[in-house]
Amino acid sequence: MTMAPRLRKVALTAHITSSVGWLGSVAGFLALAVAGLASQDPQTVRAAYLGMELTGRYVIVPLNLASLLTGLVQSLGTTWGLFRHYWVLAKFLINVFATIILLTFMQRGTLGYLAGAAADTTLSSTDLLRVRSLAPVLHAGASLLLLLVATTLGVYKPRGLTPYGWRKQHELRAARGEYPGRADP
Amino acid sequence: MADQPRYPGTPRWVKVFGIAALVVILLFVILLLIGGGHGPGRHTSSGALRGRTPPSSILQRGAPQT
Repeated sequence: MTMAPRLRKVALTAHITSSVGWLGSVAGFLALAVAGLASQDPQTVRAAYLGMELTGRYVIVPLNLASLLTGLVQSLGTTWGLFRHYWVLAKFLINVFATIILLTFMQRGTLGYLAGAAADTTLSSTDLLRVRSLAPVLHAGASLLLLLVATTLGVYKPRGLTPYGWRKQHELRAARGEYPGRADP
Repeated sequence: MADQPRYPGTPRWVKVFGIAALVVILLFVILLLIGGGHGPGRHTSSGALRGRTPPSSILQRGAPQT
């Protein structure tokens, strides 16, 4: 089922907005992660880790899920399809991979641990400086790289049909009668 | 009767991407296996927690998994 042109524009706008917003929010998160890691000032470390948790929970995760959802709508609601073109499939896999890593990192992982330490007012400045971690910088840096790859794929749309996309395309052409002598029943 | 054209094969950029993704995943798995875990204990700044006991309030929260 393909969307009407007006609805397709709305869906495309939502997808671009959420995806580019996700990329920008990860860049902001990376700045906080670097500040938290590099600073020797406990107040800055505390503020950075608390800010990272808030940014992650209320900006990055919603934008991530919105990007995934609008991407699915955009692919399944247009002739591009989800499994027909390699670039669409690659973007989808990147998005799913990034979502799994992000949700694990947010809910069960390092970020909760660091934000918990930052929120613990009984923790001494020395102890707080000792729990600083390179993990948020690594995760945010890798995410930024993946999102840049996904953005590039979305803009350049490199050629290449999957075997499924190839079959579908030629089924469509056969149905239109583009192959003489091969009329479908 | 005209047959449909043969599938031209997987584009080169897809193969390059696939190989790069496999290498990254393999490296990650190897790091997990030889590193024995993944979390702030592994990535602490200047190796601060390696070989030392973390603060008790942190230990009580349990180790993160990612």
